Amino acid sequence: MTALRIGIDIGGTFTDLVAISASDAIHRLKLPSTPHDYAEGVVRGVGQLLASLGGAQVDELLHATTIGSNAILERKTARTALITTKGFRDVLEIRDLRMPRLYDINWTKPEPLVARDLRLEVVEKMRPDGSVAVALEAGSVQAAIDAVRHSGVESLAICLLHSYANPAHEQALVAALRDALPDLPISVSHEILPETGEYPRTSTTVVNAAIQPVVRAYLGRLQQGLSDLGLQAPLRLMQSNGGLTAAGLAARFPARIVESGPAAGVVGAARLAEALGETQLVTFDMGGTTAKAGLVENGRVSRAEQMEVGGGVIAGARLLVGGGTLLKLPTIDLAEIGAGGGSICRLDAAGAPVVGPESAGADPGPVCYGRGGRHPTITDCNLVLGYLDPQGLAGGTMKLDFDAAFAAIERDLARPLGLSVPEAAMGMRRIAASTMMRAIRAVSVERGRDVRDGSLMAFGGNGPLFATAMAEDLGITRVLIPPMPGLFSAFGLLLAQTEHHLTRSWRRTVTADLAPALQAEIDLLCPYVASHLAEDGFPPERRQIRLQAMMRYLGQSSEIAVELPEEITPKVIADLPAAFAAEHRRIFGFAAPLSEAIEIVSLGLVAIGRPEQDGLPNLAPPQGGTPPASRSAWFAGLGFTDTKVVARNALLGTPAPGPLIVQEYDATCLVPPGWQAVCDDFGNIVITHA
Amino acid sequence: MQDGRITNGPGEIGPIEQALFRNAIVALADEMALTIYRTAYSGVLKNIMDYSTAICDGTGRLVAQGLSLPGHLASIPVALQACLRHFGDDIAEGDILTMNDPYDGGMHLPDIFVFRPYFAEGRILAWASTVCHHTDVGGRVPGSNASDSTEIFAEGLRLPPLKLHERGVPNATLLRIIDRNVRLPGRVMGDLRSQLAACEIAHRGIAELERRHGAQGLKALLDHTMDHSERLTRHALLELPDGEASFTDWIDDDQIDAGVPIRLHCTVRKTGDRMVFDWTGSNPQVKGAINNTWSYTAGASYCAAKCVLSGNAANNDGVFRAIEVIAPAGTIMNALPPAACAARGLTGFRAADCAFGALAQLYPDRVFAGSDGGNTGVTIGGQDSARRPFIYVDFLSGAWGGRPTRDGLDGNTNMFANMASFSIEAIETDNPLEVLDYEMVPDTGGAGRFRGGLSLRRTWRLLAEEAVLQVRADRATHRPYGLQGGGEGAPSRNILNPGTSQEQALPAKLTMTMRRGDVFRHELPGAGGWGDPLARDLDAIAQDLRLGKISPDAALRDHGVVLRQDSLEIDPAATEATRHARRSRP
Repeated sequence: MTALRIGIDIGGTFTDLVAISASDAIHRLKLPSTPHDYAEGVVRGVGQLLASLGGAQVDELLHATTIGSNAILERKTARTALITTKGFRDVLEIRDLRMPRLYDINWTKPEPLVARDLRLEVVEKMRPDGSVAVALEAGSVQAAIDAVRHSGVESLAICLLHSYANPAHEQALVAALRDALPDLPISVSHEILPETGEYPRTSTTVVNAAIQPVVRAYLGRLQQGLSDLGLQAPLRLMQSNGGLTAAGLAARFPARIVESGPAAGVVGAARLAEALGETQLVTFDMGGTTAKAGLVENGRVSRAEQMEVGGGVIAGARLLVGGGTLLKLPTIDLAEIGAGGGSICRLDAAGAPVVGPESAGADPGPVCYGRGGRHPTITDCNLVLGYLDPQGLAGGTMKLDFDAAFAAIERDLARPLGLSVPEAAMGMRRIAASTMMRAIRAVSVERGRDVRDGSLMAFGGNGPLFATAMAEDLGITRVLIPPMPGLFSAFGLLLAQTEHHLTRSWRRTVTADLAPALQAEIDLLCPYVASHLAEDGFPPERRQIRLQAMMRYLGQSSEIAVELPEEITPKVIADLPAAFAAEHRRIFGFAAPLSEAIEIVSLGLVAIGRPEQDGLPNLAPPQGGTPPASRSAWFAGLGFTDTKVVARNALLGTPAPGPLIVQEYDATCLVPPGWQAVCDDFGNIVITHA
Repeated sequence: MQDGRITNGPGEIGPIEQALFRNAIVALADEMALTIYRTAYSGVLKNIMDYSTAICDGTGRLVAQGLSLPGHLASIPVALQACLRHFGDDIAEGDILTMNDPYDGGMHLPDIFVFRPYFAEGRILAWASTVCHHTDVGGRVPGSNASDSTEIFAEGLRLPPLKLHERGVPNATLLRIIDRNVRLPGRVMGDLRSQLAACEIAHRGIAELERRHGAQGLKALLDHTMDHSERLTRHALLELPDGEASFTDWIDDDQIDAGVPIRLHCTVRKTGDRMVFDWTGSNPQVKGAINNTWSYTAGASYCAAKCVLSGNAANNDGVFRAIEVIAPAGTIMNALPPAACAARGLTGFRAADCAFGALAQLYPDRVFAGSDGGNTGVTIGGQDSARRPFIYVDFLSGAWGGRPTRDGLDGNTNMFANMASFSIEAIETDNPLEVLDYEMVPDTGGAGRFRGGLSLRRTWRLLAEEAVLQVRADRATHRPYGLQGGGEGAPSRNILNPGTSQEQALPAKLTMTMRRGDVFRHELPGAGGWGDPLARDLDAIAQDLRLGKISPDAALRDHGVVLRQDSLEIDPAATEATRHARRSRP
């Protein structure tokens, strides 16, 4: 019996499993998801995998799931009540007033997760400095308890004003409610997000409360199913921040696992980048409907402070907010664009070509699926250009209809534009690439990073088909296609480590005498995150804490992160202004004079649980396998050309020149003329200029 | 119609290259907007997003606009072209231009423009353009936005087109003048730096595009980008039936001539692929500081037009070519100097309401009823206990009119200004103010088959010794209009010390001294309703009752809904009888 670690990623259509044994043998499985109960598909998959191996000991199950975001998107959350400071129950519904679309009178706000009649108030008020302005009135507490009892809610959120500065009233309220209603799950804002800003704090606390019963029930069913298979291995969940956490903590803080799927892929990319010594890596994850870009620097993933669930894809710069449900928690910073294989290609009213944002989705899907899709899509373009195999992927389970795709492109695009069919198809690919470029620019150029200094790592079902096109437009000269690009989130889980993030409001102007106060605050926060690691089962020697200060010029209204050591000496403080100015200059191209006052707005902590053994598995593909084939594919300047179609292991050793198509179980990779490809020791396809 | 191939550049530029360029140039204008968002000092820019970015061609025509306020739609080309008239050929590489004069292409003094030329082959090929609302530009009141000034000379520092940098060297004289004339020079200088940073981003991006396409190709593609929007706009106009309609709306008063309503009158003429917004018949300019410049009136007209046109053409000169705006000089829609205009935001909002009102008669299924009438500006400024100056500037908005297929939104920014509200916790942290409530007010949305959005209320208590309170509200006497039989929204209200023996109703526009412990409450107007209130769906009414958005009294009064005794449950039979009786009433 070999010991296995299993990564499991649930998507809307497929559940992906990747297992790795102590001897680095890889096993993979793609099976349909079971939307009525996602746990069922996972248990079935794990069962199949174990059966195919004739039984194995499982060390760890690592899991990414969209259960939380699905519940929010479909408004299948628990019936939840909210208690606020008197006069402020509508903060959740008023939000910050902004809307994501202009000039659209039919735009409709997302429904708040707690309806107005379940938003209750207590008489109390804290001041920003934590002193009490209005004491918590007992009568109003009792009235709230009675209302909660009679409402029949399954979960409760509490968010009082300025509780980050003094949680006493929230704590008293929790105590009274636990006393009266011991079985009711309570999410309280000073625990979920001890930060200033009542709307983000309320919204985040409410999300936690509203999905908690759903996530708990799901995890319960999953653990039961796994235990029925005889598995007792620990289950760890991927959080939106890219770190794993024990199932128990995930059930307590489900708001932290809402964006777990996309995070896993980027984390996998970061670990590979670290092993490869890539200092700057742009990740590009392109699927059927969306493309997502992220940034990895020196093995570290860049993170955003907040996200919107259901906010839709970015419309360019991320200024238009308000489309979704706000979650202010550290999240892997992904820019998302509504472009994928299913994006529809058409002409606008002025006869100019446009790609997306409409998508043919999985049903009816592209014209070539033969399921009734009538509008040509990017996948149809890839097919007529010869990049996709008409026999289809995954062992030919779904054949693609070349003639139908060709006819649709000719009719809708080529003829009206006065272009040949391959020219039109290539044009649409380029327009799609220029749209997706905005996602990559959002995480790189807009942060002052020069992408030409680094590499591009592409995954997702369509990423490897577009990787070199994106790279060429961006001036990137090195492209990596990781192993299992089509199941990369499941694979990424196997490479992730346990992490906990905490941000806390702590506002001080930077002065020479700041060191003792800052040290005291850090000493207060560290034990809290360390206790999370203890709960995850990490002994002290495998715990590591990273600290940063969010800083800005006094009067400025957005912040920049500056790393801090655990020990704050006067020299650390003396060096802060220069460190901040350097970071400001790097990101924005200018800095104020060093005499300009600087303030710290909040402190961020990351607690990391290090794995017992560092290092990556050996993922190079075994030699041998299918002989190379060829098919006719179209390239600008060459026209249709007989192009070699190979498996990944054919690229071991010496670089092979393009044009070349690498066809695999889960994705197809395109190496155009002028590029060459080789497979490295970790199993990546490395594509560079020939 | 089809995109033609461009042949006046070196080689042919096909439709694919054109589409790629359009994506790139709009992305660049967006990157400028994001740069300001990330680097701005003042909350007015960050929270309220009162700024715009754009790329213009060498002659000052708008080619691409970053995400920005609808009210700024026409401002940048008008201001830039004024600069070009002033300087003619006297613009060199390394120059950066600035201005804010409303009577020389600007809008109101707080809006400071910064323009940076991009040169190729010795000629200006494009302009990086920004405009930001600055926290303070001097003048008689903190925030420089009083509605009761009567001349522009009271409103602050007035900058005609000037060089902020000359051949790469900052204009120290001008910067010292600005520094001495504004109340928070650190913030103004910081925000000017962020405008320069946005121009730098644009400059790099345009250089990259020139490298790819050459100067001639770039010029051709800029032209094409405008032509493409023109084609889309004209196509969308052709889809709509021709017609002409007029609408009159009112501003309560200008605070100087208190109680004297101000008339806005808009005629929309739509023929073929053209639309005209003609403001002839609007009030002569007024003494109070609510006079529009032409560009602001045009912004309101374009915003209303874009809401009824399908196709969403990118904002640029091509859109403006198909939509003409006529605003006679000397009226409140296009004032002459020295009229005051600092608080003209109000007139822009009312202009949008008025333009929507005219469009609603031509295209009833594409227009909503009167929204909250635009935001209310509240400024509280003075010194805190340590004698440090503070200025709190906030803009509140919140209700959309009922729509042809659904209710108006509650608690959402006005269409004319995609603005955020300030966080309560941030207000209390940064200012000697306590916020006592921020909530929806029931029974304030106009009744209708689709009701208008509810009013929002916010209440402040002053914790400092004293401060100057200025409020620019409206729609207290002329309420948001309903459409198709829908009712008007509730009026706005200003109250001093509510619920005490000193309670006092205040006018909509005011400047007064607040003293320690004084409480000021503002209630926004509710929005107008759409369609017959007696036709409102009973489930929708039941939900409003359950959520406390309407009272049982209002359900009966406005919708003829009868409830079972001592409950919120609707009695369908009694309701139908009541509704029937009311319908048969003459």
